[in-house]
Amino acid sequence: MRLTRSTSWILGLGLLVSASSSSLAQDAGQADKATLEKAQPKPLYSPYAGRDYPTRPLFGDTHLHTALSFDAGIFGARVTPEDAYRFARGEEITSSTGQRVKLSRPLDWLVVADHSDNMGLITDLMAGKPELLAVPKGRRWYDMMQEGKGADAAIEMIMSFGEGTFPKEMVYAPGTPAYRSAWQAEIKAAETYNDPKRFTAFIGFEWTSNTGANNLHRNIIFRGNGAQAILVEPFVTFKPWGSDNPEDLWKWMTATEEKTGSPVLAIAHNGNLSNGIMFPMVEAFGKKLDRQYVETRAKRERLYEVTQTKGTGEAHPVLSPNDEFADFEIWDKGNLDGSVAKKKEMLEYEYARSALKNGLKLEQQLGVNPYKFGMIGSTDAHNGLAAVEEDNFFGKTAPQEPSPERLTKTFVTNPKSGVKIMDWEVGASGYAAVWAMENTRESIFDAMQRRETYATTGSRMIVRFFGGFNFEPRDAQDRMPARIGYSKGVPMGGDLEKAPKGKSPAFLVAALKDPIGANLDRIQIIKGWMDAKGELHEKVYDVAWSDGRKPDPKTGKLPSVGNTVDIASATWTNSIGSPELIAVWKDPSFDPTQRAFYYVRVIEIPTPRWTAYDAQRFGIKPHPETRMTVTERAYTSPIWYTPN
Amino acid sequence: MKTVLREPLLHFLALGALLFAWFEWKGGASGPGTNRIVVTPGQVEHLVSGYTRTFGRPPAEAELEGLIDDYVKEEIATREATAMGLDRDDTVIRRRLRQKLEFLAEEAVGTTTPTDAEIQAWVDAHPESFGGDVRLSFRQVYIKKAGKGPAVKGEAEKLLAQLRAAGPETNTQTLGDSTMLPAEISLLPLFEVGRTFGDGFAKKLLTIEPGTWSGPIESSYGLHIVLVRERTEAEKPSLTLVRPLVERELAAERGRRELEKLYERLLTRYTVTIEMPKAVPDSGEGKAEGRP
Repeated sequence: MRLTRSTSWILGLGLLVSASSSSLAQDAGQADKATLEKAQPKPLYSPYAGRDYPTRPLFGDTHLHTALSFDAGIFGARVTPEDAYRFARGEEITSSTGQRVKLSRPLDWLVVADHSDNMGLITDLMAGKPELLAVPKGRRWYDMMQEGKGADAAIEMIMSFGEGTFPKEMVYAPGTPAYRSAWQAEIKAAETYNDPKRFTAFIGFEWTSNTGANNLHRNIIFRGNGAQAILVEPFVTFKPWGSDNPEDLWKWMTATEEKTGSPVLAIAHNGNLSNGIMFPMVEAFGKKLDRQYVETRAKRERLYEVTQTKGTGEAHPVLSPNDEFADFEIWDKGNLDGSVAKKKEMLEYEYARSALKNGLKLEQQLGVNPYKFGMIGSTDAHNGLAAVEEDNFFGKTAPQEPSPERLTKTFVTNPKSGVKIMDWEVGASGYAAVWAMENTRESIFDAMQRRETYATTGSRMIVRFFGGFNFEPRDAQDRMPARIGYSKGVPMGGDLEKAPKGKSPAFLVAALKDPIGANLDRIQIIKGWMDAKGELHEKVYDVAWSDGRKPDPKTGKLPSVGNTVDIASATWTNSIGSPELIAVWKDPSFDPTQRAFYYVRVIEIPTPRWTAYDAQRFGIKPHPETRMTVTERAYTSPIWYTPN
Repeated sequence: MKTVLREPLLHFLALGALLFAWFEWKGGASGPGTNRIVVTPGQVEHLVSGYTRTFGRPPAEAELEGLIDDYVKEEIATREATAMGLDRDDTVIRRRLRQKLEFLAEEAVGTTTPTDAEIQAWVDAHPESFGGDVRLSFRQVYIKKAGKGPAVKGEAEKLLAQLRAAGPETNTQTLGDSTMLPAEISLLPLFEVGRTFGDGFAKKLLTIEPGTWSGPIESSYGLHIVLVRERTEAEKPSLTLVRPLVERELAAERGRRELEKLYERLLTRYTVTIEMPKAVPDSGEGKAEGRP
């Protein structure tokens, strides 16, 4: 693993110190002071030379499905992994519904993460592969699809999976030639479009543990190349080839690293659809949480996907009643297919902020914090298009690509449980920003592993966040906050410990708006901590804001930034808010004996939501409850403080 | 004319015409147009090898007879069914035929190697895709616009004059407004300039004469007084170096284009009349005009 910049700098210094001690100088020959001084780097006059920290975050998507995903294919996705990569790197392509589509600007990297269960089955069935047509049910579904009854075929296939009557001969699982060739196709696409320093195409897949429709999905990303990835086959959930238990996935990851030599990482998502089991506190899969569970999870899952099309899972208004911005693109009606409705007591084990807090408690109990994760956003789009800008939103699935119907149609409905989710509730979100040194698989992967990442809900704003004990207010006046940040502190995803006596941690935080996006409303720091009694707390601090607003002297509440959105014309102006914000914030109630974490939330001024663009462009009247504006935001990875 | 001859679509259509002529000619003797069925030695061999692959041994005499009988039945059934038009209302057969036709058309494209001229044309049209980047070194001093009103123009002009007097190397650390945007950029590809400052800013920067403080240039952040230090023109990438990359892009694009062209051309042979049922409600599509 790559060392963070500050530690490698410290190590470098350490070497020099020890080299000057006489005992070590014996083997290296004469070491007088003058020789050593020559070797020691002098501070450069030019502040721009010798800069070895990332200068621009790289934006991408860790979670994109193409026609090779079973469900995506069933629902009509026709975009191949090749086209998905081409689209992400800025080419114009034709969508599954025949519409020409292009991103406003290229992404820097992409992971095509097709579901491992039955990868490639639908594309083969569509192509009329003889082996599949030889199975009576295969023939039936093929005919239905050809006759334009794809939706009915999809329902039958999903039902037969649920009932366990899906024909065995049709299952695409490890060890079969058909499965291998699908995996080869995925690898080939990534290898073809990986263009180091310009566009990174990762090899990856999604492991889709979904027992009882409780979402425990993980995306797996390879650091290495095709020659390594081809030595294994993606882990599946169905037996006897695989398992739905994350602990078995982690075992597979270890075995894969040994076999291929390529590190792999796993990113969980949609705790909001897990019905209370994404971030367990007591037991998982009938087994009490133990040291091994927390240790392995901490090692294997260093990031969490906090926002995507199926809802944003940073915080929940019930869990964070004092957070006026917690109610954002929330999906809290039930599990993945809506078969079991949500109960309030499930929420605590589903949302990132409560998991970050609970992790502190588990760390005290078991010695390791399993929920010490950084944050990213991704699309989870199922049509091969990582297109989540509000004015260019191509939906979650092929049927949800732009059309006059999507504003008013239903996405999920289950009369039994009463769960009903409308298409308009799908969010145009999100992307992953990674502070990598260069645009390569290795560099981005390593930055992910050190959690130097943040999530956005689709905007490409730039966010810097550093923590340390020596930041001073005037550091916010510096024009190169990154230089100060890296030299005086640790970046997002890092750790603070050993608080000097009488000192509180201070944070340098800066945000720059998306070059073609909306101005910024405010920067907030969210602190979570555990007190001496083991009680968990959270607090949201406004640390920088626009337009010289004054917090209410009584409540401390910052007035709203306002709203320039004209919904009818789907427009807004940057006449409010600020293009950039910067601040140094010191924790006013720091207790060096208490575990804590701090992360940043940056909020944009209100802009039209995709629904407003749809209403305007198609001339459709939305349902009255439809949300028509959005305040895009970024969530950074936390910085943790751990007492000695 | 040369390029026309290399046109893959033409090859495809010519091939189609040849096949058609051949079938016509065959039809005179034993082709699908007559009532004669001839099972040729080639077809028998095909049946034998198919059987051998399935059962691991060649068919016995009686078995071969059965195979041939079955083949003749299949041929009769196909001809009769086709004559009755049974294939025309069968979605599965129609889709399969369409697939085969489109596959042939795409194959024809895939097997033609693009010429140097085609590669060059693509590279010229997509300079940003092949390492041929214009690179810029520049300095910028930022002036915040928000909350300053029209006075900001005067501020920018004053700052420009001040910087011109001070020269290209002057220290700008305390000038203008504070920003996270980098003050000094060295040899950055134009597309990267665009990702940081916006594409509009990057484009305007290209028009600035290197060597003197100029501007202000506007970005979405505010105004910028800029000094372009150096501009290195895009190196022409060598064709051999970019050929595999371009072939990849061309194949994808040409496959799509050729298919579109094929349908366009074939469409001219048909008169299409669409009679919509009265009952279908207005889909709202008509109101989508004027979409950006």
